[in-house]
Amino acid sequence: MASKGPPLYQPPPGTPPTPVFTTTTGPGEPSSSAFRFVCDDFDQDRDQENNSNNYNTTTESDIDPATASFADSNHFLAPSPRSSPAAFYHNEPSGGSRRSSSSSSSLLLRPPSAGRISNMVASEDGLANGNGGDAPAAKNPFNFQTQIYTAGPVKSNIGQRRGHRYKHSSISATHQFFQEPPPRPPPVLPASLPIPTLREAWTSMQRDQRARLWWCCCHAAVALYVFFSAEGSLAMTALSHLVFFDVGSAAVCVAVDVLGNFEVWRRSSIRHPFGLQRAEVLAGFAMSVFLLFGGFDLISHSLKDVLESVGHSGHTHHTEATGTAHTGHSHGGGTRYIKPGTLDLASLAAVISTLVSAYGLRNHGRIRRVMRVPLPYLKNLLPGAGILANPFHFLTLCFAFVMLILPLVYIPHIVWLDRLICAAIAGSMFVLGFRLAVAQGLMLLMSYSDAAFSPSPSASSIPSANSLLSEKKTDGGAPTPRTSGNTGVSAVVREIESEPQVARVEEAQFWQVHYGLAMANLKVCLVKGVRGDDSTISQLRSRLARVVQNRLGEGYGRGGSLRWEVTVQMSTEGK
Amino acid sequence: MMVQAFYGYVTDSLGLLSDSIHMFFDCVALAVGLFAAVASKWPPSERFPYGFGKIETLSGFANGVFLILISVEIMIEAFERMVEGRETKRLGELFVVSTMGLLVNLVGMAAFGHHHHGHDHGHGHSHGHDHGHSHGGHDHGDCNEHSHDHDHDHKEEKKNGHAHGAHSHGHSHGHSHDNENMHGIYLHVLADTLGSAAVIVSTILTHFWKWSGWDPLASFLIALLILLSALPLVKSSARRLLLTIPPEIEYNLRDTLSGITGLRGVVGYAAPKFWMDDRNSGEDAPPNRLLGVMHVVAARGVDMEDVRDRVRNYLLEHNIDITLQVEREGDTSCWCGVGRSPLSQSHKSTQSTSIF
Repeated sequence: MASKGPPLYQPPPGTPPTPVFTTTTGPGEPSSSAFRFVCDDFDQDRDQENNSNNYNTTTESDIDPATASFADSNHFLAPSPRSSPAAFYHNEPSGGSRRSSSSSSSLLLRPPSAGRISNMVASEDGLANGNGGDAPAAKNPFNFQTQIYTAGPVKSNIGQRRGHRYKHSSISATHQFFQEPPPRPPPVLPASLPIPTLREAWTSMQRDQRARLWWCCCHAAVALYVFFSAEGSLAMTALSHLVFFDVGSAAVCVAVDVLGNFEVWRRSSIRHPFGLQRAEVLAGFAMSVFLLFGGFDLISHSLKDVLESVGHSGHTHHTEATGTAHTGHSHGGGTRYIKPGTLDLASLAAVISTLVSAYGLRNHGRIRRVMRVPLPYLKNLLPGAGILANPFHFLTLCFAFVMLILPLVYIPHIVWLDRLICAAIAGSMFVLGFRLAVAQGLMLLMSYSDAAFSPSPSASSIPSANSLLSEKKTDGGAPTPRTSGNTGVSAVVREIESEPQVARVEEAQFWQVHYGLAMANLKVCLVKGVRGDDSTISQLRSRLARVVQNRLGEGYGRGGSLRWEVTVQMSTEGK
Repeated sequence: MMVQAFYGYVTDSLGLLSDSIHMFFDCVALAVGLFAAVASKWPPSERFPYGFGKIETLSGFANGVFLILISVEIMIEAFERMVEGRETKRLGELFVVSTMGLLVNLVGMAAFGHHHHGHDHGHGHSHGHDHGHSHGGHDHGDCNEHSHDHDHDHKEEKKNGHAHGAHSHGHSHGHSHDNENMHGIYLHVLADTLGSAAVIVSTILTHFWKWSGWDPLASFLIALLILLSALPLVKSSARRLLLTIPPEIEYNLRDTLSGITGLRGVVGYAAPKFWMDDRNSGEDAPPNRLLGVMHVVAARGVDMEDVRDRVRNYLLEHNIDITLQVEREGDTSCWCGVGRSPLSQSHKSTQSTSIF
């Protein structure tokens, strides 16, 4: 099997055929050795099979083996399109053209080789694979991956080879029906990255991530406990809704954390142009809908309760079908009566779990940042309390504390107090949910919301934010003090227009993709004179990008700043 | 439609308070949906550079999530009720009230369905057939039958809206523009209708067979139905909100993209990001328009304006409108990282990809 020619040149696996190579394959040999050592990347079965195919071909047609070597040299390229889905677009480094030239030079002598047929099939196969496109584009330039294929197409060719012989050779000699795709550079983006399944997510989790997941489950258990221990008390039911919301957003946090392990999360592909990170915003939006729903639910509960206690003595069982809530409690507040002087376990658990989630999971952090809800009075009140600045934590903790304290002091008319607390929780849930829904809905609507930068809310928040610790700012504090009224998108556009080289801004699109990324697409018309110099244009572009980033980004050095991707399309005036 | 719902609110408030509260929520949901329908026609502004096309999808998503939550809650409750086995009282009053509720909902749904129909007709669809059928069947007959009928219709309609399957209406492209919002509202009203129907059926059943489990059972089933029909709505609207490009468009897009480098003067490109256009750009505008952003590297010695125009025109031919940034070969200042090193430009184009 050893080739007789000087075996000096040993191309690395996957290199295209070189003239040296084809000539050194000695005559009289089936030249399968050449094939074998080139294809050592592929699984051995296929090699053997192709090998035998070739051997059969050459012996059958009984033709000078030198030409068979051409067939072989054609052949060993054949697997390359199959080996990776992306390879269809790849510039098989000039192998295609060279091959076609070599094969066309030998077409008259050459028997219909299995190599060409299987090559055709293979490239089609590779194309189809690329369409389905689940596998990511490989990182190495050659795109050789071992993949196991059922050798179906090749096998089916064996029987048909004879029939295709003349047709194929004559056509390909004259018309070249099956042309190689033009050499193309590799795609910039993978078509689509695989979305991890649950199992993959599970195996990819690191230790601390797993710990967080377990904590999330614990939190959920606490929520369930609060919910079921709330038998009869409206306020506890309301509190359990809040805790459920906390659990939900903690779960979102964990999910985001875990999905961050995967490339599909942040890397953009064609199918998901911004990665999957927008899903976090979407989940947040769903959570805000949950808040709204909870608020509605609580309001309807308490209303019904009030009305029942006022008017009707018995209550009807109508509502469960039409969807209004109707939990097990039926006699107003006060059924759940905790002896004065004892601790309420449920609310204690709620407090603890909320605290742990707030510190351990950094729950609500991003949501809070995007909402930019200033609570200046709170910050003034409790200047050291980092997490209390977060309205969600504040809400849960506050009401849980109230529930904790209530049994400790003797208060008459506990029923009305119960309802009052419930109404307060419901109202605050409603307000918060609404604001959250608006904030995230705006992001999902592909807009850039600079509401917090507009003078009205930030005017109150800026002084207090400045007086605070820097730690709180990383928690998502108010924006840095800006010259009021001169912020936001319109100001940036104005500033860009004030550049000497810029004649006007034709189109400016600013929008936020997700929590950490925003895009600015500008169409800028330049003044007529500045054309021609590349470096000035490049400088102008980076200057514009800097302007946008500095003005609208949340600055560097603070946790989780907003990154801007600026695209500037330039044209010259009067053209 | 709002008037009718409000009418239902008023009349029911005489009968049963909780139902009126629920009706109020429905009104809110409807109002949100209608607001979204109106708002989607607003023109793009500085703050909303791509218009309000997504707002309908958003409202559909919210409605879907809301429905899922409600149905989950009902299921839990029904389960509790089943375990507790409480007695149902005052059957007669219940029957009357729920019948009234059913009627109101039916009227509302009919009105809404026609609205829906007209809407889609304006967009060149013609799947009013389903609706007409279901409406015709409404005024008489068995209620339970209705529910199944409806659900079926609905799924069909959904498929139709996305034009995936071989539906008999035979329009070619998937114009799923307004469907999610309307779909959400429709499901909402449908849920109510089914709820009322379930109450009626369960009341009748309880009247004949004294088993208290009918009521929770019926509501459980209805909630399950609603849940199942709301799930695809949530899924499809979430997909749109994530700016996912549907597969068939993605295929064309990849083809188009690979042709860019064949244009004269183009060395490479980076950071191609495309998303579906949601703006209401007139009826004559071709569907499935893509918007996008791309950075293109021009070869040395080629006029950048030429490259820009060439690439833009090429993409416009393929129904893609982009903002194009042309960079000179070897310019590494941009964030897209194109040309940072000539060999690795293809793979290092996007930022901070972690390899594991």
